[in-house]
Amino acid sequence: MSHTERFEELREIIAEVLEIEPEELTDTGDFADEYQADSLRGIEILARIDKHYKVEIPQSELPELRNLKATYEAVARHAGWQD
Amino acid sequence: MTATLHPGAGTALEFPAIRAALPQRYPLLLVDRVLDLRPGARIETVKLVSATDPCYAGVPEQPGGPAAYRYPASLLIESFGQSAALLWLHGTGTGAGTDDAVLLFVAAREYEVHGHAYPGDTVRHVVELERVIADTAFATGGSWVGDRCIATVGSLTAARRPRAALDPAAVPPPG
Repeated sequence: MSHTERFEELREIIAEVLEIEPEELTDTGDFADEYQADSLRGIEILARIDKHYKVEIPQSELPELRNLKATYEAVARHAGWQD
Repeated sequence: MTATLHPGAGTALEFPAIRAALPQRYPLLLVDRVLDLRPGARIETVKLVSATDPCYAGVPEQPGGPAAYRYPASLLIESFGQSAALLWLHGTGTGAGTDDAVLLFVAAREYEVHGHAYPGDTVRHVVELERVIADTAFATGGSWVGDRCIATVGSLTAARRPRAALDPAAVPPPG
């Protein structure tokens, strides 16, 4: 899978949790400020991506998962993607 | 994931132990028995559906069809959720006795209804715990009547939060 494909796949996964269309989710739009995501949504996003990508992002990194781009970077780090 | 029981593999719990682990009480305590519990992994529970359940108090004299006395999906989801909470919390020293946390039903995603339960049926829930993080649990599973699967649960989310964080009195009124 290319960087773009993975990025778009992550967009779909997160959009589903936020209950919006993938095209509504911007690369740097803040989940909390722009998509009404509360702490529970943030935890749900983390659990979803952990399950899908078979990684284990620790609770301590939750605050970093602010937007799609930042979340992608966290997953890439934990999954060892060579982008 | 199957609906069969693996005898002797895990723990069985009766009413007193269920009450010790869950904050719910009559008439909203919706787990009658734990058939099999593998802590942190999997649980099988039973909820009997009876004509004496409060949800049947208002069934009209002419019900017009079985839909009027199906066991409500909302209560099935709640019963499944309580089973997930039991799996999560049993043996962790948390329960009705600890007053400092509130157990919350957060969400159910991809909940599919495949059939229904009626008075006289025994509903069996099978729940697998997928992940617990930040005092939030994610479970999956299904509900059966005999060998009929009546519901599948893609993902159910439950959370424990400190009571003080949720107490409306702790939030100052606006203005």
